[in-house]
Amino acid sequence: MKLEREEILSAIYHCVKCKLCSISSFHPTEEWLPLCPSGRFYGYQAFYAPGRLEIFREILEGELSEPTEGLLNAVYACTLCGACYEKCKQITSVEIRLPELFEELRGVLVNKGWFLDTHRKIAEKIKETRNAYGEKDKYKYEYEAKSLYGTDVLYYIGCTARYRVPEIADSMLQIFDKLGIKYQVMEDEWCCGSVLLRTGQVEDAKVLMEHNIEEIKRSGAKTVVFTCPGCLKTFEKDYPDMAVELVHSTQLLTRLGNMKVKRLGMEVAYHDPCHLGRDLGIYEEPRAVLKEVADVKAMKREREQAWCCGSGGGVKSAYGEFALWSAGERIKEAKGAGVEAIVSACPFCKRNLREAAENEGMKVYDVVELVNRSLEG
Amino acid sequence: MNQNFLKFVHAMVGEENATDDRAICASYSRDQHWHFVPARNPAYVVRPANKEEVKKVLMLANEEKIPVIPYSTGINVRGLTIPVHEGSILLDLSRMNRILEINPAMKTATVEPGVTFGMLLEKTKEYKLRPAFPDAPLTVSVLVNYYLRGIYQTAAADGHDHTLSYEMVLPNGEIIKTGSRSLSEMPYFRYGVGPDFTGVFCAHPGTCGVVTELTAKLYRLYDNKKVYFIGFDDVSASTKFIYNLMHDELAASIRLVDNQSWLKGICGTFDYRYEELPKFVLCMLVEGVDGIFEAKDKLVVEYIKESRGKVLEFPEEFKRTFEEESLGGAEKSCMVFGLRGNYHCIGFYGPLTLAARYYELHEATALEVGIPEDHVHFYLDPIYNFHGQLCYVELDIFYDGSDLEFGEKLRNYNEIQFQRLLDLGIYGWFRPYAGIIQPTVERIGYLAEVWKKFLKVLDPNEIMNRGKLF
Repeated sequence: MKLEREEILSAIYHCVKCKLCSISSFHPTEEWLPLCPSGRFYGYQAFYAPGRLEIFREILEGELSEPTEGLLNAVYACTLCGACYEKCKQITSVEIRLPELFEELRGVLVNKGWFLDTHRKIAEKIKETRNAYGEKDKYKYEYEAKSLYGTDVLYYIGCTARYRVPEIADSMLQIFDKLGIKYQVMEDEWCCGSVLLRTGQVEDAKVLMEHNIEEIKRSGAKTVVFTCPGCLKTFEKDYPDMAVELVHSTQLLTRLGNMKVKRLGMEVAYHDPCHLGRDLGIYEEPRAVLKEVADVKAMKREREQAWCCGSGGGVKSAYGEFALWSAGERIKEAKGAGVEAIVSACPFCKRNLREAAENEGMKVYDVVELVNRSLEG
Repeated sequence: MNQNFLKFVHAMVGEENATDDRAICASYSRDQHWHFVPARNPAYVVRPANKEEVKKVLMLANEEKIPVIPYSTGINVRGLTIPVHEGSILLDLSRMNRILEINPAMKTATVEPGVTFGMLLEKTKEYKLRPAFPDAPLTVSVLVNYYLRGIYQTAAADGHDHTLSYEMVLPNGEIIKTGSRSLSEMPYFRYGVGPDFTGVFCAHPGTCGVVTELTAKLYRLYDNKKVYFIGFDDVSASTKFIYNLMHDELAASIRLVDNQSWLKGICGTFDYRYEELPKFVLCMLVEGVDGIFEAKDKLVVEYIKESRGKVLEFPEEFKRTFEEESLGGAEKSCMVFGLRGNYHCIGFYGPLTLAARYYELHEATALEVGIPEDHVHFYLDPIYNFHGQLCYVELDIFYDGSDLEFGEKLRNYNEIQFQRLLDLGIYGWFRPYAGIIQPTVERIGYLAEVWKKFLKVLDPNEIMNRGKLF
């Protein structure tokens, strides 16, 4: 366990079950806006943070000794979005680091052999193909050919942008090209390990981390750019310090300043990805970049209190209906803001939001797609 | 346990809404009162969608003699929804979350148990109306808080009784309607036929039946508002001022708090020089329609001068937070949970004349059992129309919830303090929570016997939250 038993129990004993963690700040709008996707979807106390903590307590105290269906669902049908933690922290200033605790809980379960078949299969796919989707063909992009080994900037693409939403990787590579930034992509990029770490399969992630660290060292890059906040968070929080700068695409674009973009004449809402916002505190840069190219309208739940898209924490693969419902709730919120598109800065968010938006007349983009479109080539 | 029980319940409420899964049940095993009520899992959790389903489940449980614990949102209940007996059914009513009616003309709302204060205000504010708010998180159930008779000191002007009538399902499946609800489709009057049955069933912690809908009073929201914070060095120095305000019915919200606990919540931040303020601060809100508001405010200013209290100049943000927390439900004030991680209080009603002695007793008993002085806190709220100089008093202790030894001190404190408060004289307890009933019942004579017989008539098989009262 990363956390000591006493530390975990102490955190559990600090939750007073007020359940304010399940709603966004009420007084600014006086609207009842839920924050916890799993609690809202499943309803039982077990799916809200206070109930999940009680389950953890009973496991640590040896009272829960069987992997029941309810146990697995309560533990794994949570996107680890961290909205509960942010709300609790805002009010009480008590540091009950809920996503970290729930990740730890998964680690405890995995050590007992109590995990979901779906997650085990992902681990197997990664072992076989080094990507989370089990894709055997190496994905090649037109712009990948311009990758220059030895340049300072390395773009870590990530599994989802490679194999499920390649338009994000394509856009990022085109942006580099249009801005005249020399870049390289890893010749043998392996999954960062995020999905394994988030689902408690910590040991399986180690080999991936070792490989990627070696590859990055070998590349000589000084800056690693990510379009995937999940990968960025994993490199930031779980990898050892590699003495390279780790930045999100929107941070890089903000830093570049005047990019000579043309406005697209679109009204859009920005969806904060959990890993980028709550985990890494990056709220301003995506908005700043997006404002350069489109009119950005606010949704009711934003920043620390953004509603999760529903795909993280291994939920998309194991609880498809729940994941899609969460994304659908976000699409409704965007519609309420009167926009034509919802824009995120995460391939995983885009993928799930796009599925939910299919018949809703709402377009879904990543920030880099719009920037690429607005950059003069 | 009857193996077919869950099959029957599944047929009643749907398979996804009833479970005996050990982990799901574990999530209901404790609330914030764990130092006094140890964890225990229910055997089943059942989530009915409507009163017909409640009725079916209750009748089956009654037949099988299985204990039933009604549960709405499970917040601020002080151990009252933690099972006493093995094999209990926890009846989670959170799916029943419809606001059945908001009647602006009658100034009432009718709600199901899963409706929270936040949900209700979201709708009533359209009519410039609000519910009476308890000083509990706005995630608590309106119905249960009113039925259990919470405390509504955030706006003292609302008085104490907000329940007009309700509908309750008894274990035998019969449905009782109280007040005018029993006579007509108009549930807007508390006293229907004969005795005040609305009151008779109230404040029972799920020990009579399951209340499935309740009609409550709503109160007006005013445009004119003004906030004052007045400092006093001790409790007794503030009582004359409080008396004047209450006697002349001038302030909507009057809360006397100490400067190291609730004041932080009322102001909405930990980041201020609270330690430099007088030890007690009276937080006050004046409101009213044009003309009346100005007249009230003029008198308030005169009483402030006369009080010799120190007028505290707080930032506007503090005033706004106090307004929001008083008239829009407690959210930021729950930051007191963050003072040390948990919060214990003995809440009760008593006259203003004894306020200073209650505080002295609090300090003395706390020190006696080894609770440090800086853990000892206090607040007092007078309640309109102030007959009997009625106040809600809270003897608070903020502590680290993970400190199990401190839990032992708190239990000692309770045991001694319940008796001492009864000896000194109180009007009544906030709620029949753990440890209070036994010392109290010993003092109420034959009333206790009548009470027990009354419950026996309603619930002969003793299935309703068995063990929480007697």
